[in-house]
Amino acid sequence: MMKIALLLAATAALTIGTASAGEPDESAGESLYAGSCAQCHGPGGKGMASFPSLAGRDSDYIASRLMQYRDGERVGANSGLMIPNAAGLSDDDIANLAAYISSEFQ
Amino acid sequence: MSPALTNPSAYAIIAAALIAGLPASAMAGNHAPTLSHSTVLSGLDNPWDMAFLPDGTMFYTEKCRGMSVRLPSGDVHHLLGMKDAEGYATTESDLVCQGQAGMNGVAVDPDFDDNRFVYVYSASEMSEPRTNRVLRLTVNGDFDDVSDRTDIVDDIPYKPAATDHPFGDSGAHNGGRIRFSPDDGFLYVTTGDNHNSEIPQSPTQLGGKVLRIDRDGNAAEDNAPPAGFDSRIYTYGHRNVQGLTFHPETSQPIVTEHGPWHSDEVNALVNGGNSGWDPRPNMAGRGDCPDNYCGYEPNQMEGMNPKERAAYMPLTDTNVYPNAMVPAWQNSGLSQGISGTDFLTGDQWGAWNGRLAVGFMGIGFGGTAVGQRINLLALHESGEAVTDVSEMHLPMGPARFRSVVQGPDGNLYVAVDEGEIHRISPE
Repeated sequence: MMKIALLLAATAALTIGTASAGEPDESAGESLYAGSCAQCHGPGGKGMASFPSLAGRDSDYIASRLMQYRDGERVGANSGLMIPNAAGLSDDDIANLAAYISSEFQ
Repeated sequence: MSPALTNPSAYAIIAAALIAGLPASAMAGNHAPTLSHSTVLSGLDNPWDMAFLPDGTMFYTEKCRGMSVRLPSGDVHHLLGMKDAEGYATTESDLVCQGQAGMNGVAVDPDFDDNRFVYVYSASEMSEPRTNRVLRLTVNGDFDDVSDRTDIVDDIPYKPAATDHPFGDSGAHNGGRIRFSPDDGFLYVTTGDNHNSEIPQSPTQLGGKVLRIDRDGNAAEDNAPPAGFDSRIYTYGHRNVQGLTFHPETSQPIVTEHGPWHSDEVNALVNGGNSGWDPRPNMAGRGDCPDNYCGYEPNQMEGMNPKERAAYMPLTDTNVYPNAMVPAWQNSGLSQGISGTDFLTGDQWGAWNGRLAVGFMGIGFGGTAVGQRINLLALHESGEAVTDVSEMHLPMGPARFRSVVQGPDGNLYVAVDEGEIHRISPE
């Protein structure tokens, strides 16, 4: 049993280790979206009020916009809201969000 | 002296009731109610407002679609559609939506049984540039169509183009709540400043105002704005008013007003009063501002202490306007998307009987918590103070609470931008 547990732990460590360098983590993107994005873009990404829909946007689009906002670049009428929201995102956060949004909100 | 009044606790209860500005009976249920909820309608597109008939018939608006009605049976009829909306009995293709603007408030005539009138506030491109209008419509006997459109107000300003501001798209700061006073029978109409610094204190432009008119759009005869003002103006100097109701005992109109990155307000209106919003550049210690509007200065795109903001660009500027109406409440100095409001009345609400329910949509800018919630304010009868603030435990969870209306069944109906109308019921 001990060997299996160790093996599982090692596998988990490898999985975590590769997540940041390779495949984005959609479930991490999902929880980040729920906590930081859904209040304006809506739980289904359809947009609400004056906040735009994210449906149909591909991963590159979402990632590039988030990086622009993180850099303080003004893109569109709600830049003042997006710039501070994106300021604290890591590269991994952006990749995870882009993966989740592009796959979930078609 | 009666035995009851010798009891210290009875004194305490009466004193508390007096302090809170509530009738003693309101304190009889001394605990907050347990709440349940049911979803009345779902899959809506930005529901914005509701208005009820005594039998529970509910008219409601969707910002980019139009006005519909839900009958007590649960059947829904789509009555008045906007441009490109399908499935409506009648379509008016000049009615448009953009950003915060579209079809907003809805109200039922106090004499509906006789005249079948309903009213909506909507952006329209019938005029160039666009304006907001208040439309009066006649509902047919089967509640499945409307006719006789009459635009009783056609000149409420609409923000025509995007500007360099937060929420800077066209259609912004559009106001839009409409309600009939149960006391004087007039229709009150709330408007917004359009990110245009000249509008709030303008004597002629109807943005940044609360209007008081009759069912034909004529000014209430005793409106008392300053000389030279449009006679339809009841109060002025507002920023963006999206909540409106009337005190259940004094009938005083109560509004909510979005704050400028600080200080959402609840205000009790006084006829002819100035709410003290004046975001013009080069006055009151300010210099030039982005696109001639100081409404988010001194730092509109980054977080800073709301108190510093309030000192620089107050929502109610009592230095420039010493006679401005005093806000009853300022949301602890924060701006979190204050919107619809209504009083809870009836013993079913227990300790909340007489409280003002206030919905927040949430923003989350610059370190301020998003703040999606419904607060319950004990409003002093003077209208100038709030003596207690509670927060509703939300049986459906947080959402963008756009409109809150107590229905004729005594339950609270809330419309959320996510696309639902919920009924919240005390147990």
